[in-house]
Amino acid sequence: MQRELTFLIALWKANLLAAMEYRAAFISQVIGMMLNNAVYFIFWIIFFERFQQVRGWSLGDMFFLFGVVAASFGAGVYLFGNVLDLANVIANGRLDYYLALPRPVLLHVLASRSISSGLGDFTYGVLSFVIARQFSPDIIARFVLGVILATIVFVAFLILVESLAFWIGNAALLSQQASNALVTFSLYPITLFEGNARLILFTLIPAAFIGAVPAEFIRSFSWTTLAQLLIAAFGLLALALIVFRRGLRRYESGSAIQVQM
Amino acid sequence: MQNKLVAACQKYLAIFKIQIINSAAYPLDLATRSITMILFMYIFASLWDATYRAMGQTAIAGLSLRDTLWYLMIAETIVLSKPRLAHTIAESVKDGSIAYLLNKPYNFLLYHFSVAFGDGTLRLVFNAIIGGAMVWLMVGPPPDMIGVPFVLVAIAFAWLLDCAFTALVGLTAFITEDVAAFDWIYSKLVLILGGTLIPLDFFPAWLREIVTALPFAYTVYAPARFFVAPDLARFAMLIAGQLVWLAILALILLFVFQRGVTRLTINGG
Repeated sequence: MQRELTFLIALWKANLLAAMEYRAAFISQVIGMMLNNAVYFIFWIIFFERFQQVRGWSLGDMFFLFGVVAASFGAGVYLFGNVLDLANVIANGRLDYYLALPRPVLLHVLASRSISSGLGDFTYGVLSFVIARQFSPDIIARFVLGVILATIVFVAFLILVESLAFWIGNAALLSQQASNALVTFSLYPITLFEGNARLILFTLIPAAFIGAVPAEFIRSFSWTTLAQLLIAAFGLLALALIVFRRGLRRYESGSAIQVQM
Repeated sequence: MQNKLVAACQKYLAIFKIQIINSAAYPLDLATRSITMILFMYIFASLWDATYRAMGQTAIAGLSLRDTLWYLMIAETIVLSKPRLAHTIAESVKDGSIAYLLNKPYNFLLYHFSVAFGDGTLRLVFNAIIGGAMVWLMVGPPPDMIGVPFVLVAIAFAWLLDCAFTALVGLTAFITEDVAAFDWIYSKLVLILGGTLIPLDFFPAWLREIVTALPFAYTVYAPARFFVAPDLARFAMLIAGQLVWLAILALILLFVFQRGVTRLTINGG
């Protein structure tokens, strides 16, 4: 475990140094993404200015929701950037490079790339939480825990979907649609959705676990919400690891070992 | 003079047609992309249904739930089908491939506009059919079908406006390393100030006055709003507004393009 952590930190450091080579692009992506999210949030300000509440949700709740979704999405794509590209890595035989090295394959693939804009998302998420003005130590602790668990759900879900590439070949478009659906649904009040749609958001597309559930957990502590989050995060992660390992047994390529620049 | 103009139009029409044929080669890709349309329309239907119920009103700012959903269907169709020109132009500037297009017997910008229109047209058809079917099933037929041919003209001009904006964003690659941030912000301005997520009628009065005069409103709001309340006076105002902004943006675009090309330096080839 210690060895993996040291390895991860070394990868993140290398990614940061690589990004610093193009400092202006890095900074513009981080600030640009923060502005991008802020402009998007204007929709909710205008909406709640006119309608005050919808199914029990108000503007204050949306700050928490955006805080946790943006921070977890940002952390996920910054720390494990290849999670958005895993299907292509598998389909194009680029796993060969990682398989040839004495390091955990999945961890190595995922952390080999950092998406700079993710840092903008993460910072925006933290700012959104700050704007909600709930600064008691227990709420801050719950925000940190909520973001960590939501990040695990997000990354695990994408590993699961992108690993379909082992079976169906080009799964890039499918996984792009799945991640779009996950993020889009997570940014809306969960109470809008009823019946089967709600069931889907807690299972097939687990948007509730990167948005509404952690936001609810941050707002007010309950053992039930915490248990739901823990089961979703670690259950999905275990499933993702099993599926990736099963898929890896089927993996074959045309010997595409090459130098990774 | 007239012959030259016809020949030029035929040239770009040919590029447009070739691009449509290219897109038609991947029907599964087109259908998969339309999933996003289903997703958004489902979310909007849930959100606005809950909102209208909570308000206990049949109409908000003059729009019924049916009007709002048909408005959003047209708005989403315009936005989800439109091509991502900024990225294409920025890449051709950064990797130097612009040099291969500049010496061809066509205008670099008009070439990209033709390709973009060709790329987006089939997506527009797919999205409109899928989104239209969904909304029809949920709230019934659109208020007035007479607006359809007019709205197609308005969408064509809206896309031209969008092409001009995104080309400007792409051309910033002449001076910056990365244009992604400008592209994100532009697309979010279209989402909010263009009225893609919420009809501008629901904005506070003072803000509505400002945003309806901006060019973003003419790329989404104006055509979608016309669709749910079509009348000739509104159409004339819409087209006039689009043409004015198009003329202003075309001038800026030409200026930026000329400046960019004069400072272009490419090694090798």
